[in-house]
Amino acid sequence: MDTALIDATSADAGPDSEWAVETHGLTKRFGDNVAVDDVELLVPRGCAFGYLGPNGAGKTTLIRVLLGLTHADAGSMSLRGHPVPSQRAAALARVGAIVDEPRFHSHLTGRQNLQVLAAAREPEATGRIDASLERVGILHRADDKVAKYSMGMRQRLGVAACLIGDPQLLILDEPMNGLDPGGMQEMRDMILSLVAEGRTVVLSSHLLDEVERTCDAVAIVDQGRVIRQGAISDLLAGSSVTIEIECADPDRARSLVAMTVVDGSIDISQGGLAITLPGGTGREIIAEVNRILVEGGIPVYRLQEIQTSLESWFLQVTSRLGESE
Amino acid sequence: MTATPAVDAPASIGGPSPVDHRGSWVPNGRMIATRFMELRKRRGLMIALILVTIGIPTVFLVIRLLLHAFAPKTYGPAGGYDIFTALVPGVLYVFGFIVAAALGCTAGTVDLTEGMFRHLVVTGRSRLALYLARIPAGLAIILPLVAIGFTVVCAVCVFAAPTQLSYQNVTVPAGLSHSAFDTWAGDHADEVLCGIGYRFTGNGPSPEMNAVFNSVCGNGPGGPGFKVAPGGVTTPVASPAEIRATAITVADQNYTDYSHHFLSPSNSLMIKTGLWIELEATVGFVVGLGLGSLLGQRTVAVIIMVILELVLTPIVSRAHLAHLINLQRSVVGLAVDHLEPSALGFVFGGGGGPGGGNGTSQLVPETTGQAVLVIALWLVVWTAIGAWRMMTRDA
Repeated sequence: MDTALIDATSADAGPDSEWAVETHGLTKRFGDNVAVDDVELLVPRGCAFGYLGPNGAGKTTLIRVLLGLTHADAGSMSLRGHPVPSQRAAALARVGAIVDEPRFHSHLTGRQNLQVLAAAREPEATGRIDASLERVGILHRADDKVAKYSMGMRQRLGVAACLIGDPQLLILDEPMNGLDPGGMQEMRDMILSLVAEGRTVVLSSHLLDEVERTCDAVAIVDQGRVIRQGAISDLLAGSSVTIEIECADPDRARSLVAMTVVDGSIDISQGGLAITLPGGTGREIIAEVNRILVEGGIPVYRLQEIQTSLESWFLQVTSRLGESE
Repeated sequence: MTATPAVDAPASIGGPSPVDHRGSWVPNGRMIATRFMELRKRRGLMIALILVTIGIPTVFLVIRLLLHAFAPKTYGPAGGYDIFTALVPGVLYVFGFIVAAALGCTAGTVDLTEGMFRHLVVTGRSRLALYLARIPAGLAIILPLVAIGFTVVCAVCVFAAPTQLSYQNVTVPAGLSHSAFDTWAGDHADEVLCGIGYRFTGNGPSPEMNAVFNSVCGNGPGGPGFKVAPGGVTTPVASPAEIRATAITVADQNYTDYSHHFLSPSNSLMIKTGLWIELEATVGFVVGLGLGSLLGQRTVAVIIMVILELVLTPIVSRAHLAHLINLQRSVVGLAVDHLEPSALGFVFGGGGGPGGGNGTSQLVPETTGQAVLVIALWLVVWTAIGAWRMMTRDA
């Protein structure tokens, strides 16, 4: 690793940095394969930040580099304003993380596993074990061996392991894995509550719907590179809008609309039309379409604006779209 | 997840608390204690450790106690000096090393194989401290177990020792001084002359000595009335004074050997032996820990340690290869063998430790200083290798 480079470029970043995570030109190679390619990432403090990418995009590798689980080949990074690895201990002092599938000593109980981890943290960490277990909802199973835990319970124990360090930054890699719908809802609520407490949560996931519901901002990673990042609302603002119309005589309705206002594609769908409008189109177009149809004598039963989902947008901007084509 | 009180928000987000020394390479007591707990809770491993270190010698000695209790004329006492000097190097030493190595290999690999390593690294704790915490934790398990097994052996060997010393099948008072042994021999000349061996020097026994042996034991030339020379000359029967003097001569020659026979092991010998097998267990654990950390694979590491102890060390210790003598001396098993209390039997069979036992060591020669240096180097180097691998390994 080019330690000198990393230390030098991050030296001016202090604990007061506005970024919970900051990387510049971060690169990690495995032989000829570039898993993390010149990544520039800025995660604001106090938000839920989604880190999205298809399988094999390099999400977990970036997290491992950030946490010092593996070394970077080039670039600089800092956590909570502390450059890593030169101030690794200080940087990780208030960081909790789940990387990949959370695994523990299966012959120990959940509580004993947390005791092992708390012993490596500050003395106060041991006192937070019960509160952490209670918060993730497995206090009643704390004295059962982990071997008897379900996958979902291990995920929860992984989150509890993060919480014993009273983290200001949580990095959760696919935390929804193994959770049932109820568990996913609880996890989502917990992430939101953590953010509400002023903590920063970086959520790496391929579950776009969950990220969209949970996170304020996202970064999209593809083939090792961050190709987009920012607030979700800003990223989706430039994407197309679809108007679904349920009406009588779809063929005539299409002709009417096509002759008048629409600068987009019009498709006949089951029982109506689907009009796709370019990003930035004003909402007044919806009322205009409705007026044209009604004045043309076509009954309109339902008219709905469909905002482009994060999933649709994600597929548009990542290589996965190209693969599917 | 239920709606429960939140974990308290931190008072400060600037970094570690004032008492948080997680960047230090020195492990704290809590790390050692929890690592101890993690190892101790491995039921299968602990059962194996207890069986080998305590179970095997206990079962062996209990069987001997029962046999002696039911058939004392057929089976000798369960304990005693001879049992001690054979059992310790034959069982506790070898198996103690192997189980200590197995524990070390386990401690060196389980965090990695069970996925806890990355959790520990993410705490920000120094990886060196994480490694070093395993050493006192593991030793706190293996050393007491070896000590308990050894204590059982010592207790039986002392409290179930024979009441009379049988030296070359002659019942002799134990612990006699040289002069007292000679005096006793003079008073029991018949038993000494007919029971205790004597190495003749030069061209064999003198006629006078022949006459004594024959007149007392009657089993060779010169027996009572036996004509040893042509012409019908009969060797005179030895006088009591001659018989006594010859018995003392025999006793004199055997005193050194007799002085190494006791009813039970002395406190000094037991202490030295205890420290010696604890040293061996320490070496086994520390080397196993380093090797396990280096390989990251417990099974392979344990197999290598067993081969080192049961195959490589015996060969290297006995084969005198002039061109490889220094390489042989660098093997830790040989070095530990050289520190063996001299009264004990050879490890891996044979008799007599270095310069002890029967006084003829078969080991490749090595000074005590060299042996101590080799052991220290093995402990330091393997700790360094294990720590280095842990500090550089991807988690």
